[in-house]
Amino acid sequence: MDEMLMLRLRVEDLLYLEADLLDRWQLDDWLALYTEDAHYYIPPSDVDGDTADPESSLFYIMDDRIRMEQRVIRLSKVGAHSEFPHSKVRHLVSNTRVERAGDLIRARSSFVVWRSKDVTSDAFVGHYLHEIVEQDGALKIAKKTCVLDMEALRPHARISIIL
Amino acid sequence: MPRAAFTSRDVFEREYEAIFGNCWLYLGHASELPEPGNFLTRTVARRPILFTRDKEGEFSALLNACPHRGALVCRERKGKSRAFMCMYHGWTFGSDGHLMTLPGSSGYPEGFKTDPQKQMVHAPRLERFGDFFFINFSKDGEDLATYLADAGDYLKLVAEHSASGMQIVGGTQEYSMRGNWKLLAENSFDGYHAACNHSTYLEYLKNANGALGATPLSGVARDLKNGHALVEYSAPWGRPIANWVPLWGEEGKTEIAAIYAALQARVGAERADRIAHKNRNMVIFPNLVVNDIMAITVRTFFPTAPDYMEVNAWALAPREESEWLRKFRLYNFTEFLGPGGFATPDDVEAIEKCQQGYAVGGEALYNDISKGMLREDGASFDDEEQMRAYWREWDRRMNQVES
Repeated sequence: MDEMLMLRLRVEDLLYLEADLLDRWQLDDWLALYTEDAHYYIPPSDVDGDTADPESSLFYIMDDRIRMEQRVIRLSKVGAHSEFPHSKVRHLVSNTRVERAGDLIRARSSFVVWRSKDVTSDAFVGHYLHEIVEQDGALKIAKKTCVLDMEALRPHARISIIL
Repeated sequence: MPRAAFTSRDVFEREYEAIFGNCWLYLGHASELPEPGNFLTRTVARRPILFTRDKEGEFSALLNACPHRGALVCRERKGKSRAFMCMYHGWTFGSDGHLMTLPGSSGYPEGFKTDPQKQMVHAPRLERFGDFFFINFSKDGEDLATYLADAGDYLKLVAEHSASGMQIVGGTQEYSMRGNWKLLAENSFDGYHAACNHSTYLEYLKNANGALGATPLSGVARDLKNGHALVEYSAPWGRPIANWVPLWGEEGKTEIAAIYAALQARVGAERADRIAHKNRNMVIFPNLVVNDIMAITVRTFFPTAPDYMEVNAWALAPREESEWLRKFRLYNFTEFLGPGGFATPDDVEAIEKCQQGYAVGGEALYNDISKGMLREDGASFDDEEQMRAYWREWDRRMNQVES
């Protein structure tokens, strides 16, 4: 089989696994998909999310691995009021394209994430930029940027789930 | 406070007349229009505004509608342009709103183009306090500095973080809440809710830094007159102006110490101590929040219904800040603040649950904001004196308008 096609299938498998773990609130397992120096970003919608730098623009989320771990810990607590009880979450991922840049695999995909709680359902629409590396034969995510293809985060009040 | 103040459609409509129609409302910061010709569009109290700088550098706040048929003239969020053409019939206006080009002018009488009614309309009043620009939809009333009262000195204090001037960092957090807008005013300087509502944030600080800082949450609440108020307090989190925390690494310690020494030399030891070591959550009536906490956020929020508000939030930072410190400022901002932070989502939950709770109606008609009323040695940061100051002004202004 064509090598890039095979790679895309492997990447899609990883993205679908990630979506499934997030939908089922298996957040420790989700974290295990990431490298030890991973980052998770969500830029705001008035900058070019594909190129914006979280170190010079205000983002919604600019997590390093330490903060990703703390985010998972926080979301397991009753005191994370916004997510107690946990909302219903559904990640839809599609249109995946992959390219190789040396050892780095770049994946670009479309997402819709639904969050439902307290008689409201909000949809987050956008595209993912994943940077993936191969470690001991397995694919690991080194960086994930969730670019919102929305004019503003409205009527959403919060990104209390993991996109 | 009667809960009808948060739920009534009649109150909501009267607020637009009595409060948003008469108060000074925050428009933007000078640093958002750094060069002549820059512009941005923004909705203030439901009205689309075009905020411009002309080629001489003069600022204008125009009501963003064509005098011809009323279409929005500028449809971009921001940019640089000396002329703004209405896409409907091509009427074109300068940065100060004057009609530059009138297509098909042979169909109009002489003098039509210079008729005052054919120019874009300016917001009735535009004034600046330092680099903060405000507009007022009423021609009459006190000037901005008088209106700001004792809040003015605190806006100056924020400006003094920098030797070269403060700037809005690129990137706007634009979100909303399904709750009455005044719930966010209360929440923005509520020192009482932190321990319960934000327990997971305090636990995060402890985990991420190895231990919670030794500085306790402690301080005062102040009425700044005209409905403005603040809480000023010490806290265990890092502040990019001069409160180092272990999470920022050893190399940062030296830089933070140098910033503090320079600040002391510039503004004196006492003011430097306040700027660096004290946190301030300030609400400028009716809806400008300037919170100088683990980072500085400038925030406005306008209702579009009694139970829904749109929020805009920006980060303010010293221009001369190093890349290293800017990174940690933004890292600090996002740790607590905004829809993806470790705290704001729980504020949203509280605000939305209050709004939902008001639906019980019946005999549960009032909110309690009495904490600290009987204290004789001045209000604590976790009392509710700042909310009472805000609500007294709200009540005074609402009573000036017939229901």
